[in-house]
Amino acid sequence: MRPVAVGAMSPFHAGVFSLVVFTVLAMLFIASQLFLAAWLGEKKKSPEKSRPYECGIIPTGSARFRYPVPFYLVAIFFLIFDVEGAFILTWAAVYREMGFAGYAQMSFFIVLLLAGLFYIWKQGGLDWKEP
Amino acid sequence: MERAVEANRFLSIADRVINWSRKYSLWPMFFGLSCCFVEEAAAFTSRYDLARFGAEVLRPSPRQADLLIVSGTVFKKIAPVVLRLYEQMAEPKWVISMGSCSNSGGMYDVYSVVQGVDQIIPVDVYVPGCPPRPEALLEGLVMLQEKVCTERPSRKIFHLGGGSQGTERPVLEVGATKSEDPRGPGYEGVPIRGTSLLPGRLQWGSRSDIMWTPSARRMEFSDADLSLAAEVEERFAGRARRELHSSDMLTFEVDRGSVKDVLRFLKNEAKTKYKRLDDLTAIDESARRNRIWSEGMAEATSDVGAVCSFSKKERGRYPDFTVVYQLLSFDAARRVRIKSGLDAEGGAPVSTASVTDIWPSANWYEREVFDLFGIGFTGHPSLRRILMPEWWEGHPLRKDYPGRATEMAPYTFEDARKRQPLDALVVTALDAKAPAGEKEFLLNIGPHHVSTHGLLRCIAALSGEKIKSLDLEIGYHHRGTEKIGERQSWHQYIPYTDRNDYLAGSSLEFSYVTAVETVADIGVPERAQAVRVLLAELYRLSNHLVWLGTFAHDVGAMGPNFYTFVERERILDIIELITGGRLHAEFLRIGGLAADLPDGWKKAVDDLTAIFPRRLLEYEKLLRRNPIFLARTKGIGKISLEDAMDWGVSGPNLRACGLAWDLRKKMPYSGYDHYEFEVPTATEGDCYARYLVRVEEMRQSVRIIEQVARNMPSGRYVTDDYRYAIPRRGEMLQDIETLIHHFINVTRGMKIPVGEAYGATEVPRGEHGYYVVSDGLGSAYRMRVRGPGFANIQTLPLMATGESIADLISIIGSMDVILPDIDR
Ligand code: SF4
Repeated sequence: MRPVAVGAMSPFHAGVFSLVVFTVLAMLFIASQLFLAAWLGEKKKSPEKSRPYECGIIPTGSARFRYPVPFYLVAIFFLIFDVEGAFILTWAAVYREMGFAGYAQMSFFIVLLLAGLFYIWKQGGLDWKEP
Repeated sequence: MERAVEANRFLSIADRVINWSRKYSLWPMFFGLSCCFVEEAAAFTSRYDLARFGAEVLRPSPRQADLLIVSGTVFKKIAPVVLRLYEQMAEPKWVISMGSCSNSGGMYDVYSVVQGVDQIIPVDVYVPGCPPRPEALLEGLVMLQEKVCTERPSRKIFHLGGGSQGTERPVLEVGATKSEDPRGPGYEGVPIRGTSLLPGRLQWGSRSDIMWTPSARRMEFSDADLSLAAEVEERFAGRARRELHSSDMLTFEVDRGSVKDVLRFLKNEAKTKYKRLDDLTAIDESARRNRIWSEGMAEATSDVGAVCSFSKKERGRYPDFTVVYQLLSFDAARRVRIKSGLDAEGGAPVSTASVTDIWPSANWYEREVFDLFGIGFTGHPSLRRILMPEWWEGHPLRKDYPGRATEMAPYTFEDARKRQPLDALVVTALDAKAPAGEKEFLLNIGPHHVSTHGLLRCIAALSGEKIKSLDLEIGYHHRGTEKIGERQSWHQYIPYTDRNDYLAGSSLEFSYVTAVETVADIGVPERAQAVRVLLAELYRLSNHLVWLGTFAHDVGAMGPNFYTFVERERILDIIELITGGRLHAEFLRIGGLAADLPDGWKKAVDDLTAIFPRRLLEYEKLLRRNPIFLARTKGIGKISLEDAMDWGVSGPNLRACGLAWDLRKKMPYSGYDHYEFEVPTATEGDCYARYLVRVEEMRQSVRIIEQVARNMPSGRYVTDDYRYAIPRRGEMLQDIETLIHHFINVTRGMKIPVGEAYGATEVPRGEHGYYVVSDGLGSAYRMRVRGPGFANIQTLPLMATGESIADLISIIGSMDVILPDIDR
């Protein structure tokens, strides 16, 4: 990617006002969508329709009880570490501009993450624990 | 006034916009009942590409779908599920009924089938065909789109009252708004052809009696057979007798009390050990004609008796029921049949001893006999219905039971509401598995599920993701094909055989005609034999391609599916060139084929064999070293060779455990011994081993096809023994005798002499056999279908218990199951 020439873009001014406008607009948009869907959508309530879908069979028992799910842990860890990717990748895009300071901060961040990972590992969080 | 016009103009524009958007964004549900679904699925693949019309991806859940394509046979046992899925779909929704079965019951006018899905849910578009080609489904979709354009949805959407959208047709009611007569309206009072044919009704004066045939084939017993016979007769003197003549295998008649001992002896102690229970079934003998005669009918109907072609002495008196066990010896490659007569004594229910302690696989077989014949088995761990739903009354394979749905009360909307499948908890309790503990959760996987490959219901007791125990509930696809065999003429039954495994086409006709040809001792010309092999191998390729694509899909690899269907279409093109059919070729005839090979067949076949091995390598590259694929298949779903033999597993699933058992090699038929090929095996018995075996089998099939194409014999394509065969048209026009044979064989059908035989071939899924029993009439007295799936799937709990729920999907995928050969 070619670096953007100086002056090619308008200067950046941080401003709370535009953020507020943006937030309000976003909320309005979401609200209108929810309203339209609720108002326009065809609704026919019937006992069969509100029954949980389980391959066409009437489900047995309740789904609300304590239930061991080893995959859940793995999935949560994945989510956590996956989100960090968002920070690291954005940093990579502006790596040069951030200079050494950025590098040091990022390293610190990654070391911290790694520490967390090793901690989970040590605690056995990555093992598939059979209930 | 002005305002109203204004509003209407706005509404009609809105209607147009909404309809336009809807018609190009229909969401079909992933829902198939039987064969027709295979053509529906083909319509989504690259050749036909339904997405062009704006119905893109099949949705696995009804919540995300607004188009229900009912593709296939609507069984009474599955109908409540169909209704529920329909009701759980998003609004507004539409229904296409695809195929004759779903439209009207089609060729399945039989006790277990609803005669048209419009009796339980409303239908917008009917697509005719059996099966309709993918193009026909495209046409149906376009018709539905046109229908969508006639709707006025905006009044409904804006809550203005009135307007129309989605299916608004009423559900039909037999007798009031629809006629159940398969021939259409106007035939009331004319009996349906063949209703008079049911053997339950006395068939005195049957025209078959005035037709002469030689007696059934009498095989020469080998020395090994004779020595076994001597061994058994000595050991069980007076309790087991060898039948003097047999058409196909050594047969013993054993007293009811000694059956178990004889079976145990044959399995464990005899010199050649018969390790496998091939099949266990029964025959209701109550409508045997010479039996009725022997009970005093002769005097009453002496004029008919005079023309009867059998004599009382020939077969002796028949019991009320015969239970038939068929065993197989792997070492000697021989089969033996044990028959045991049962008489109902003084109104008590008929029963015999269960053999579940000798073969675990007898469990389901005995339940089936109990279900369909009402014969009890003492000592069975959980004797209850298996194919018919629990609420069913009567035993369909009894001779006094009506065979046709149109002879019974019609299935209605209320039935579909009321007759719910058994609750999962009840099933697990009945199967005497440990009840779900505190932490265990009962989950239904199927009957409507993308990865059960058909209407199979697994009930998993889960602790976390782990399967603690697994129960199977089958019968959702029971099409009563055995009962139908008792009313269709010998030739008419051929189309039904294709449908007993809708991915293997002619391979099943092959088993059936082999059985009939064995009883009547009909020779098949060499050319016909070679073409049969050619078709069987082409279907093996096409079946394995579907399996490869769907299996890869099951374990998360989308890619192969897109490719394998391309090659499959190529193969189907060749099959269509030769037979005129795609899924259901209906091309084999008793004594040969329906027609000769067409011009250009050789080039088409050669083109295929030239490219196929290379393509296969490409597909394999997508999988064989893929770490995810390996992780999901290696070491998963293991079964040991001993278990596999004990449970009657056959086909690639058995060979993946390390036994090179293949009927094409071990009991060659139709000239397979002239072809060079290997029987691939693997040793691990896991999902990966099953994968290896099937892929290698494709290579071997290509080898066979090459050889057949190279050495295709010339000569007749159908035997000239016109007593049994349908004569070639050219010859039929030449002389009067052939013309008479033609007339008789295509109208009331030929007669097969009194006798019985089992004919089996190696179909893609294992050993598929037909046990046909003839009472000297124009249709079978008993038609037993031994599907490999019934035995194979029974081992699923064995393989899946202890594995995780994701592995269950991979195991089912690796087993290559198909429901019509399990439920039949
Ligand atoms: S028999 Fe099979 S192919 Fe024919 S209509 Fe029925 S489901 Fe479709």
